[in-house]
Amino acid sequence: MADTSEATEIATEELRDAEVHGPRDHGNPEQAPLFSAGEVEGLTEKPKSFGRLTWEKFIRHRLALVGLVGLLVIVAAFFIAPYFSNYAFDQRNVRDRLVGPSWDHPFGTDEIGRDLFVRTAQGGRYSMRIGLMAAVIATVIGTLFGAVAAYFGRWVDVAISQLINLVLVVPALLILAVFALYFGRDANRLALVLALLLWTRIARVVRGVVLSIKEADYVMAARAAGASHGRIIGRHVLPNVIGAVVVEVTLLVGTVIVLESTLSFLGLGVQRPNASLGTLVADAKGSIATDPVRVLMPGFFIVLIVLCINFIGDGLRDALDPKAKVEGGKFDSKKAAKKRRKDGAKAGGIDGRTRGSALTVGGGRLTGSVEQGSNSTPGAP
Amino acid sequence: MFAYITRRVLVSIPLLAVALYLVFIGVSLTTDPRADFYLCLPRCQDGFDRITEVYNLDTNVWLRPFIWFGEALTGDLGESTTIGQPVTEVLRTRGWNTAMIAVPAFLVSAIFALLLSVYSARHQYTFGDYFFTGLAFVGLAFPSFVLALVIQNIFGVQFQNWFGVKPFNTGRKTGTNFLELLRDITLPAMSLAILFISADSRFGRASMLETLNQDYIRTARAKGISERSVVWKHALRNALIPLVTLWALNFSALLSGSVVTESIFSWPGLGPAFITGLQASDLDLVLGIVLLTGSIVVVFNLIADVLYGVLDPRIRLN
Repeated sequence: MADTSEATEIATEELRDAEVHGPRDHGNPEQAPLFSAGEVEGLTEKPKSFGRLTWEKFIRHRLALVGLVGLLVIVAAFFIAPYFSNYAFDQRNVRDRLVGPSWDHPFGTDEIGRDLFVRTAQGGRYSMRIGLMAAVIATVIGTLFGAVAAYFGRWVDVAISQLINLVLVVPALLILAVFALYFGRDANRLALVLALLLWTRIARVVRGVVLSIKEADYVMAARAAGASHGRIIGRHVLPNVIGAVVVEVTLLVGTVIVLESTLSFLGLGVQRPNASLGTLVADAKGSIATDPVRVLMPGFFIVLIVLCINFIGDGLRDALDPKAKVEGGKFDSKKAAKKRRKDGAKAGGIDGRTRGSALTVGGGRLTGSVEQGSNSTPGAP
Repeated sequence: MFAYITRRVLVSIPLLAVALYLVFIGVSLTTDPRADFYLCLPRCQDGFDRITEVYNLDTNVWLRPFIWFGEALTGDLGESTTIGQPVTEVLRTRGWNTAMIAVPAFLVSAIFALLLSVYSARHQYTFGDYFFTGLAFVGLAFPSFVLALVIQNIFGVQFQNWFGVKPFNTGRKTGTNFLELLRDITLPAMSLAILFISADSRFGRASMLETLNQDYIRTARAKGISERSVVWKHALRNALIPLVTLWALNFSALLSGSVVTESIFSWPGLGPAFITGLQASDLDLVLGIVLLTGSIVVVFNLIADVLYGVLDPRIRLN
């Protein structure tokens, strides 16, 4: 990707459209290849877009496919389940308190006779909605701050790094409690507050990537050719960041779901009568000795959802790794190459927590006290 | 090196001050310690005035933190209303309790993560590797409270004679003799350790794999050095570099106390104190805990960065 875009900055427009099949062509479907597949039979094939290549690599990743299918099944179940039940999620039925699983109540009922099957589905939707929203907001904020910090450097970088450190030093629970008291606790506000806590990791990752891209030859070439800041960021920097960001967002959804359920478990998150998977566990935890299923069922769904999301994130990381394309089956058999490729991707940045630090160190800088990533939030573990 | 550490410490102090200032303002604006007194006002004017005086409520909100800073500098962190002790005393006892489960949890997680990453890297794509990687995936997906509840249910409830489960009560005294203490520590430390093993072992595996593919490992093997020496001396030392910094951060997270795990296992550490202080708007206690945990985070981040520089001479700290 990197070397092709360097060449194209000098090349003419037509040449670029014909030759480059990098990420920048994504979203330009009507590009004309020099030779179409019909003209020279068997010699050339239609170039695949970046999105299509990624998708093909993604679905070859077995775990990722399992994760994707699993997640789709769970989401569909959460949406369809209420139609198979005669009860609403906040409908009390005192005569049917604490009944065990039956045809009428597949997961049983709680202390005031609400159907837990419907409540679990509603809680699952609520958790996922918050997770998705918070992850998207955090990504927007994080990408913006990270890119700006790295691109403009100097005092901007210092200011944003200190802001990140500040977020990491103040316990997350405290921020959440204070914000919840101030703004209320409906899903949207909860998602916003969670995003305000979680943008730091994405900012660090993006900052690291942008720092290394900024020094790349093709950016210098673009600058020499007279490209504006906006064009350089939009055409050269951001497309290279997207891969890392997509992976981080995916994993962030899982993180948010865990964090939200933890908060709800502590009584600081979703408020009743609304349910999230965390409140369902909290409601039932007193009866763990007598009725463990009621406690563990919502918890089991959290684990399942997060597991699927992490599988997808892992697959995306492998599929989006540009190095994988270069190495693809040069000398070894295909299988060996695939294995090697996978490990390369993983070694590049495995656990999200240290990903930022690896990139930052690679960028040749080690500033800012909390660069390495931290889980300073009491309550997270 | 010394200049670097000094500079980092000097940068951290205003950072902590700003954090404490914001915490103070945030808690002050959202809660009112006199809330209970408004209803009975003419009769309980004395108590009302006393609380106003203790919390300096007649001073402007934005100036009030500075009074606290002044007192904190003399070593007086105020009195915790929920626990009924001076905050410094609470921090000492609770911090000690937290350390009692943090240190074992850390040691166990570090040792297991190390062994698992070496095993997985050496037996890549074997059944064992897939098995442990799968376990790590599952472990990563567990929220701490679900894991703690599962562990409590299995070892506390189903096998009641092994580890007694106590009610949800955070004021319990820690065990009177060593064996009782060990019994109380085991479950919370175990559930914390499992979470960290899952994260660290995947990271360690990748780091070890990357190292084993380096040229100098091939050289070492070509020279005829025994496989054990290659793995445990040549490779491990280099693979440890990123892992050690991760451990420094893990340790700071553990020492800061874990609200959920400690609450579920009724362990009187910093976490439960923090959450009760927060719910009861016990401002002095909350500030004290933020000061302590914030300092721990800052110090261990510094240690992590310095260790990175010491272990890997290619990285220059400046």
